[in-house]
Parts: sequence; C-alpha cells; structure tokens
Amino acid sequence: MFQISQDFAPPFKLISPFFIIGALFYLISTLYLFGFSVENFHHLDIKVLSFIHLFLLGFVMMVIFGAMAQLVPVVLEVGHAAVELFYAIWPLLGIGTLMMVFGFLYLPALLPYGGTIVLVAMMIFVFEIFATMKKVKKFNVVMGSIFISNSFLFFGIIFGLVMALGYAGILNIDIQAFLGAHVFLVIGGYISITLMGLSTVLLPMFGLSHGFSKKPLYGALSLMSLAVILIVISSFVNFSIIKYSGYTFASISLVVYFYLVYKIYKTRARKENDIYAKSIIFAYLSMLASLVLAVVYVVSEKETLLLASAWLFFFGFFGFAITGHMYKIVPFLVWFERYSPLVGKQKVPMLADMLPKQSSHAQLTFSVFGVLTITLAIVFQNDMMIKAGASFLTFGALAFIRTILYMINFKQGLENG
Amino acid sequence: MDNISRRKELQNSTNEDALYSKEELFLAISTVIDPEVGFNLVEMGLIYDAVCNDEGNVHVTMTLSTKACPMHQMIQQWVKESVERMKDINEVVVEVVWEPEWNITMANDNVKKALGGGA
Repeated sequence: MFQISQDFAPPFKLISPFFIIGALFYLISTLYLFGFSVENFHHLDIKVLSFIHLFLLGFVMMVIFGAMAQLVPVVLEVGHAAVELFYAIWPLLGIGTLMMVFGFLYLPALLPYGGTIVLVAMMIFVFEIFATMKKVKKFNVVMGSIFISNSFLFFGIIFGLVMALGYAGILNIDIQAFLGAHVFLVIGGYISITLMGLSTVLLPMFGLSHGFSKKPLYGALSLMSLAVILIVISSFVNFSIIKYSGYTFASISLVVYFYLVYKIYKTRARKENDIYAKSIIFAYLSMLASLVLAVVYVVSEKETLLLASAWLFFFGFFGFAITGHMYKIVPFLVWFERYSPLVGKQKVPMLADMLPKQSSHAQLTFSVFGVLTITLAIVFQNDMMIKAGASFLTFGALAFIRTILYMINFKQGLENG
Repeated sequence: MDNISRRKELQNSTNEDALYSKEELFLAISTVIDPEVGFNLVEMGLIYDAVCNDEGNVHVTMTLSTKACPMHQMIQQWVKESVERMKDINEVVVEVVWEPEWNITMANDNVKKALGGGA
C-alpha cells in the first residue's frame, strides 16, 4: 500500500493562524471605517494610508500567504521546499502590520521598524516560494504567473521600505514619486497577478469548467506585467506618456482577465449558485465597476472617483474573492486533516456540510450592502452613509469570523466530536 | 512493468475465468465519493475502465476532474482500497490518465441534473 504524501496539504495548524488572524484583521478593518469622515477622502490622508495597510497586509496578504501554503504545491505539482518557514510568517506579518498602522496614525518613527518586520515576513515567503519553484521541472503559464508575481512582490516591498524610511524622516526622498511604483508592484504586480494565475486553476476546479481557452491569461499577465514595469520606470523618468501607457495596459489587462473569467463561468458544469459562486460573481462585478470608475476618474479628475474605484477593487474584488475562496479552502483543509483518514471506515461529511449556511449568507448579504453603501458614501461625500456602510460591514465581518470558526472547529461524526 | 503494459496484459488475459467483471469492480469503486461534489466516482464518469484476471490482479484506469486536484493521491488510494476490500484480490494498480480529458458529458444523467446542467 502506498503512502499518501502530505506534501500537497501542509498541516492545518500551520495554515489556520493565517485565516483566523486574517479574519480578525478583516473585522478590525471594518471597525476602523467608523473613524472615517469625508475630510479623510484623500489618497495621501494618513487614515487612508493606515487603513489600506491594515486591510491589505493584515487581511489580504495574510490570507493569501496562508492559502499559498496549501495552493502552491497543488499548482506547482511539487512539495514545499521548507514549509515550516510559514510558522514564522504570520507572527511577523501581524506584528509588522500593527506597527505600520500605528506608525501612520501616531508615530512615524515606528514605520521603518514595522516596515522592516513586514519586509522580513515577505522575504521569507518569497524565498520559500522561489526555493519550491526550483523543484519544478516543467513550467506552465500558472507557474509562470507565480514566479512573476513573487518577483514583483520582492521589489514592491523594497520600495515600500524606502518609503517608510522617507516617512520617518530617515531618507530624503520624494514619497509621491515612489507611491505609484509601490502601489502597482504590490497591487497590480503581486496581488492581481497572483489572483489571475490561481483563479485560472481554482475557478474551473470548483465550477467543473472545461473546454475554455487559457490564451487570454497570457494576454492579461503580459499586459499587467508591462503596465507594472512602465509605472515603475515612470517613477524615475518624468514622461507622463509612460505612466499613462502603464495605466492603459493595466486596464486592458483586467478587461482581458474578466473575459477569461466570463468564459470559465459560461463553460462550468456546476450551475448552482452557492455561497462561493455568489461571492465570486460579486468580486468580479466589483472589479469591473472599479475599472469603470477609474476610467471616469481619468476623464473627470475627481479624486473621490479614484478612491471609490480603489475601495471597490480592495473591499469588493479582493475582499469577496478571498472570502469566497475561504469557504472552499478551509473546509477542505479541515476535512483533509480530520476526515480523510476515516474514508471507507465510517460515514464522513461532504465539504458542503461543513459550511454554516446562515452565517456565510449573512456575511455575504451584509458585506455586499456595506461595500455598495460605502462606495456611494465616497462618491457623494456623505458621513452618515460611511457609518451605515461600516455597520453593515462589521456585521458581515462578525458573521465571517463565526463562519470560519465554525468550519475550523467542525468535528461532527468524530469520536468525542 | 509500466502501467500501459500491465493494463494491456490484463486486458489480454481477461476471459470468462476473470475473478470479477468490470461491472462488479465498478460497483466496488462506486463506494468512493468525491467530498467536494458529493457524487461517487463512477457516476461522475471518472472511472474509465477496470479489468481483473483470474489471479485477482486488477488494473483500474481513471481520471480526475482537474489536474490540479489536491486530493489526487487520496482519491487514487481510496479507489485502490475499495477494490482491495473485495474477496481474493491479489494486487490493485490504479492508473490516472488525462486522455481523454474528463468533461461533464461523461457523468451520468443524475449528476448532470443535480449539478444544474440538465440531463
């Protein structure tokens, strides 16, 4: 009898802290929104900067890193080089994020220290992924996307640290000039390209989609990579055509990517619109709406539209793409750990049985209302709507935490369970 | 001996004295359920063939709904164990192939209907 390798499923105790802490950061992010008023609606406002780092590092990056511990071996078809390193990543990322958030708000001198701790966490992650990739013998486009995205992340965090030193007054740099490069390296280069690559594996896997062409993925990845490179160059060379070409390529990349996702959706065999499908549909519609607002911003130059676009991209697209996938990934990991050894010996639950329907749907409903209300609050500059949106999102986040904890503690049918 | 040679040898040697028929092997394998979709592998159309010779050596040819399936090894193991539970089975080899690529038309009507694609 051959042994089942654990390479493709790291121990759940290694991954679960990423998801639990990520969910807590999601809740803290929604509570943070109560502190906003329309006066803060400026892209360099310290509350905005602090909030973006809280949400993107504490929730988005935290969950992505945890998910990658599970997904990288699945996508790369090789075991991790040193999966134990992930035990060091979540504490460093969590502490570094909190220090950066407080640094922005109260004590800029904390920023380089927080930034360095985040840098160390991300460097450990990047080098572990690169070491794992060295074992891959034959690359495909999805593996290529992981290589590209992690390369961009490497440079993105270097730029971020330089900016943190600038904020703290240690380095004399033009922070505004570095901002575009940092944002595009991390948001476009890492998060977007990672989601593009992984979704091409995960969406067809969960939807049982077949017969679609992956060619648009090549186009989307190439255009986004080119966009990121152009915008980084534009930080050093003062030619606006380079910067605007970058913005254009990034927009076209997202449109091409949306087309690919639409084809995957149309070719799926699994037609039921469960919580996963609904979350993903809202995520991609948010991405499209964000893109439309960004285009209108370029024409109108109204900064509130840029902020509304970023809000929809972060909380709508990233947020729902991540929460939706957690409803698939967490039950699988728990099931793998607790129930897979019992297959053939006793009745085991299906993955769908492990997802609490009421709280997951409460999360979806409250969060959808919250995201839309805050989008309107930003566009119409309305303080009352910010509070209303924050309330919806907080209820959604509480339901989300309840759902995650329920799945993690699921022991139905087990002895003593 | 590689999987293809083993399968061909078993197919050639299989005759009326075979310990189990294809249908009996499929029935045993139908106890294996994909926990993600909730259907057994046979009704999903993931089991392409199963042959057994008179010595109880079995070769199962199957596929998975996606190459990136994180349960690849587990599912292969469950199929192996489901056949091994049959009486007088000697050796079981489970071969995962990617040609022909699985698609929903290979599933039975119940699965298609339950997934929402119609029968």
